[in-house]
Amino acid sequence: MQGFPGPLPDLAQLQSTMVAIERACSLIQMHMNPAEAEKIINPLRQSSMPYQTCRFILENSEVPNARFQAAGAIGDAAIREWGMLTNENRKSLILFCLHYVMEHASAADAYVQLKVSAVAAQLVKRGWFDFIEAEKIGILIEVKQAILGFHGSDMQSAGISFLESLVSEFSPGTSTGMGLPKDYHEQCHSSMELNYLKEFYCWAKSAALNVADKIVSCYANISEEKVCSRALRFMFQVLNWNFKSSPSALDNSSSKSNSGSFGIRPDMGLLKKFERSLVEPGPLWHDALLSSGHMLWLLNFYAIVRQKHSSDMLWFDSPLAVSARQLIVQLCSLTGTIFPSDDGEMHIKHLTQILSAVIEWVEPPNIISGALRSGRSESEMIDGFHALLSMATLTGTMLFDNLLRSLRPFGTIHLLATLTCEVVQTYVIKNDDEQTWSSEALDIMLEIWTVILGRSGNDMKISAEGISSASNLFSTIVESHLKAAAESAFEDDSEADYFHVSVSRRDETLYAYALIARAAVETTVPFLTRLFSERFALLSQNNERMDPTQTLEELYWLLLITGHVLTDSGEGETVLVPEAIQDGFSGVTEELQHPVIVLSWSIISFAKQSLDPKMRNAYFSPRLMEAVIWFLARWVDTYLMPIDAAKGQLGISGHDEGLQQHPQSSKKVLLSFAGQHSQGETILDTIIRISMTTLTSYPGENELQALTCWKLLVVLVRRRHVCIHLVALESWRDLARAFANERTLFSLNARLQRSLAETLVCAASSFKDLETSNQYVRDLMGPMTAYLVDISSRNDLKAVAQQADAIYMVVSCLLERLRGASRATQPRTQKSIFEMGCAVMNSLLTLLELYKNQSTVVYLILKFVVDFVEGEVAFLSAKETSILVNFCLQLLRIYSSHNIGKISLSLSTSLQSEAQTEKYKDLRALLQLLTNICSKDLVDFSSFSDEAESTDIAEVIYVGLHIVTPLISLELLKYPKLSCDYFALISHLLEVYPEKVAQLNKEAFDHIVRTLDFGVCHQDVDIVDKCLRAVNALASYHYKEKIAGKEGLGAKAMSSEESNGEFQQSILSYFLRLLIQLLLYQDFRMELAGSAADALFPLVLCEQDLYQRLVQEILEKQSNPAIKTRLASAFYALTSTNQLSSSLDRNNRFRFRKNLQVFLIEVSGFMRII
Amino acid sequence: MSDEEHHFESKADAGASKTYPQQAGTIRKNGYIVIKGRPCKVVEVSTSKTGKHGHAKCHFVGIDIFNAKKLEDIVPSSHNCDVPHVTRTDYQLIDISEDGFVSLLTENGNTKDDLRLPTDESLLAPIKDGFAEGKDLVVSVMCSMGEEQICALKDIGPK
Repeated sequence: MQGFPGPLPDLAQLQSTMVAIERACSLIQMHMNPAEAEKIINPLRQSSMPYQTCRFILENSEVPNARFQAAGAIGDAAIREWGMLTNENRKSLILFCLHYVMEHASAADAYVQLKVSAVAAQLVKRGWFDFIEAEKIGILIEVKQAILGFHGSDMQSAGISFLESLVSEFSPGTSTGMGLPKDYHEQCHSSMELNYLKEFYCWAKSAALNVADKIVSCYANISEEKVCSRALRFMFQVLNWNFKSSPSALDNSSSKSNSGSFGIRPDMGLLKKFERSLVEPGPLWHDALLSSGHMLWLLNFYAIVRQKHSSDMLWFDSPLAVSARQLIVQLCSLTGTIFPSDDGEMHIKHLTQILSAVIEWVEPPNIISGALRSGRSESEMIDGFHALLSMATLTGTMLFDNLLRSLRPFGTIHLLATLTCEVVQTYVIKNDDEQTWSSEALDIMLEIWTVILGRSGNDMKISAEGISSASNLFSTIVESHLKAAAESAFEDDSEADYFHVSVSRRDETLYAYALIARAAVETTVPFLTRLFSERFALLSQNNERMDPTQTLEELYWLLLITGHVLTDSGEGETVLVPEAIQDGFSGVTEELQHPVIVLSWSIISFAKQSLDPKMRNAYFSPRLMEAVIWFLARWVDTYLMPIDAAKGQLGISGHDEGLQQHPQSSKKVLLSFAGQHSQGETILDTIIRISMTTLTSYPGENELQALTCWKLLVVLVRRRHVCIHLVALESWRDLARAFANERTLFSLNARLQRSLAETLVCAASSFKDLETSNQYVRDLMGPMTAYLVDISSRNDLKAVAQQADAIYMVVSCLLERLRGASRATQPRTQKSIFEMGCAVMNSLLTLLELYKNQSTVVYLILKFVVDFVEGEVAFLSAKETSILVNFCLQLLRIYSSHNIGKISLSLSTSLQSEAQTEKYKDLRALLQLLTNICSKDLVDFSSFSDEAESTDIAEVIYVGLHIVTPLISLELLKYPKLSCDYFALISHLLEVYPEKVAQLNKEAFDHIVRTLDFGVCHQDVDIVDKCLRAVNALASYHYKEKIAGKEGLGAKAMSSEESNGEFQQSILSYFLRLLIQLLLYQDFRMELAGSAADALFPLVLCEQDLYQRLVQEILEKQSNPAIKTRLASAFYALTSTNQLSSSLDRNNRFRFRKNLQVFLIEVSGFMRII
Repeated sequence: MSDEEHHFESKADAGASKTYPQQAGTIRKNGYIVIKGRPCKVVEVSTSKTGKHGHAKCHFVGIDIFNAKKLEDIVPSSHNCDVPHVTRTDYQLIDISEDGFVSLLTENGNTKDDLRLPTDESLLAPIKDGFAEGKDLVVSVMCSMGEEQICALKDIGPK
């Protein structure tokens, strides 16, 4: 072959290499000594110009694995040495691979051929912009001929598989890295899309058409069937392409304005859940996909072949069936400008056409699910569901419903409801392990419901038939789940762990159920009320004769679903009453008749029963109570004293006064029944008393208490106008009193103490004047601080301190509460919280000294101080700041004096690592403390600043670092979070206060530099980035100071004697050397190129001479003259092009960034291996 | 806080007890617990329910703080568990005798000579080596339920 690159070694040498590689490959295959084998194979991949050897192996070796390796080696070497190959060389390599694939199309070991064709695709992409158009066509023409069937069906398959490799190589998501910038991949992507993609599609289409007739008439042999399924698969792959060229911005706006009129709507991203996407190829594809009857042909083809194989249960999973269906589903997701602007007529026709075929896959539901139970594959039905999902996504709810009406006497939503009923019924039985399809099917079904019901406004109008279908469906759902709940009531909850994982998934399912219920509120809400009252009545009449467990479990499930129907989850947003519930029940004007209010009352009065000890012990199990608390939390958030119940929300929809009269009044009733002036306060009181009960009467039920503290109580104090009522209630004062003065709440677990304190303090925001707020906090926290001070000032403290139960327990509780309170710091309570902190400062230092060996107490103290500083620091005056800062430094010193140089000894490795972890957590807290103090310099709200007394924060931080850094060993920096915090702090400090570094003593400075050295070589991109920024800051500072004639880093930059004497050079030159090393010889990540350039530039400027010497050194080491010249010119270009000058301004830095990127592309590929 | 004050006083006298009761639900990871009569550090806690509508129970995995054996226990979470008093005291190391005992300097100037060196080589080596190098060593002695063991070592160095 002409132009094949590389020197041709003699035959004996080729033979021996081949034998060696073959041996190595068989070693790998037998899992014997893979390291040894790698040592033999790697040199081949990394050697220079291995092409002749590889070719020899490919053509002669009997061992498929060896051929595979040889193909890989061609790819690696060619990508690496691309710059050094001539155009002839490149082309001949590609053609060699292509011919190889074609010639061996029918050979066994298909993976070798696949690899070779992938390599060819890689090389085509690498040279995409080097070849002229004619050259590309020259390469592709051979592929085209093969695909169109000029050389038999094996060649056809081979050609299609090459196109598959090519297309996946050109899609950015699946392309191989070539050491090129992202830009290059993008350009390839759009060039492919514009010039070739459609053509490829058409080739595959003709290949499929070619053999389709034979398949239909059953004359096709296996390889022809393979061609057909491959072609269809390839077409599917093409339609998965991420089309960019269609002007989607324009397209969106136009279809949005139209969506009201004809109901086609593009909802990008909705299909993401199932890793599918909409297909928007643009108008150019119109002829290929739509006008040529392609769709009709495909549907008919599938239908006929399906008919022929109707008795064969396995056929549904055959490659041909699968790929044909996939293609149909993908064509169903077609949207955008490919359809002419004819008010969606064509698009609707297209969808109806597909629906008429797809409906055969899913209908009638009961027969299909019966067939599935008797062993038929579910894949066809699932694909049918996917097609329905695509349609639901692309059409408005009304249009979606109507799509089916031309084919059936009912709408699509009715069909959907029937299908979902069938799926849910199968899903809840779940006894049979083989019926796992039901969960996948349910997922898709619910996603469709979420899509069509989750919209708002005009897009979501449902016909009366649709509403009644939804209502029936919801009844079926609830009944089947209640039945399942009753049956599972006695199962031991051994799946507790599993259950936790699936909570969010369960919530998602329930949310979809709730949407279905809300589509038919008029019937579903009364339905829920009836079910709930029945169960409630059953309990009241029970007289303790019957085991209530089944009923409890049913109530549990009913509470969950009702909670989802009546409320949305919020998650950090302001929760509103769901629209469907606001707008429904238009005829109701009486409060006591409003179904939602009736349902709410029946649940609240049920919950109230838990206050009666007898009822509680008999019926309110912890699990049921959890559901009650969860429900109340969501309900309170939505219905209790809603914001501006009277005006805001009603104003929005008050356009047509006449029409909206009724809905308005029912809405008003709904929004005001638990309002501020109505029964809101009574309900609030009940809820607080219920919370008290769960905290005191369910000892040890952590989950229940956690729900109470984290969900319910938090919600109560979230809104200020609720707080106003809250703090006035006797029950709330009882809670606060119990918290401040009694022991009962000490039995709560420590984290809940914290959250409880936070909640109670938060309520202080409701008072009108500052003083009352602060007094409230003082009353609440005063007893805690007094007690801590009292303990720490005892004379016999030392003797009793270790008596764990007496002090240790109480101290931990108190510290958690202080921490909770300081987390609730707000501007209006800042004063009293600061007083609280100041009051215990000395006690904390005493306790830290005393409990130096009780790691938990130490950690609590540190965490309290961290939160305290975070909350307070921005508000403090100069004097207060200095108090705080002094305290922190004292704290750091004491901690350090206890812990430096300490080694813990333990027999148990797990205890040993626990000890290490504790240390890590402490240090992380210390770093957070420093970072928090740091923020004083950035955010400062203090009203008056007194220059004389102000503290220099930077200095404080450096003193702090002095104390903390010796504790941080390189070992500890392996904890990702710790090292992240540490390097964030260091780089921030070096960037903001480089001048302070010069004042550090030598040890501390060396330590910082050592850690930076460690960080630059870290795996984590973030950390490397931070370290590079730090190095940049150091070098820039030094350079600027030197220009200004000052000392800069002074002696520190001159020489740094390592204790081992390994490098006696300056810090800066050390980093210069390190960085160049990194850039040239290691697997450098391109995303770091920017920050590396920023760090390298000032280093080069600082150490000009050394840089020149280094470059010389590198060049001299290079033996290959071709590489040497390339390298030299690259180095020259790095510092001399782009009008780079020797100042450190922004423009210059930017130029250097560009230069470095060019440099890296130019050299990094071939330098890495040398 | 009079309530707690009282409690605190009464316990101050009862120093002789080796353990004290604590509700199982409040014992966290990294706390201590007595399992099968041995003082353990809790390395894992999980909760589950006895039957769907029963009460919570805690499952503890502990590691014996002296012999590093792993022990497990299940306790209803509202019940009390025994929690060992675990104290750590620092002493300066004066001498290591040949029969495997150490001589320690207490805070009030006396010596404590009844503590054996650990037998395990991995614990023994840092103590012996450090002492042989002439470092000023402070050892932490962990004491619980009548057993004692050196648990940490610190070089306070020449000032």
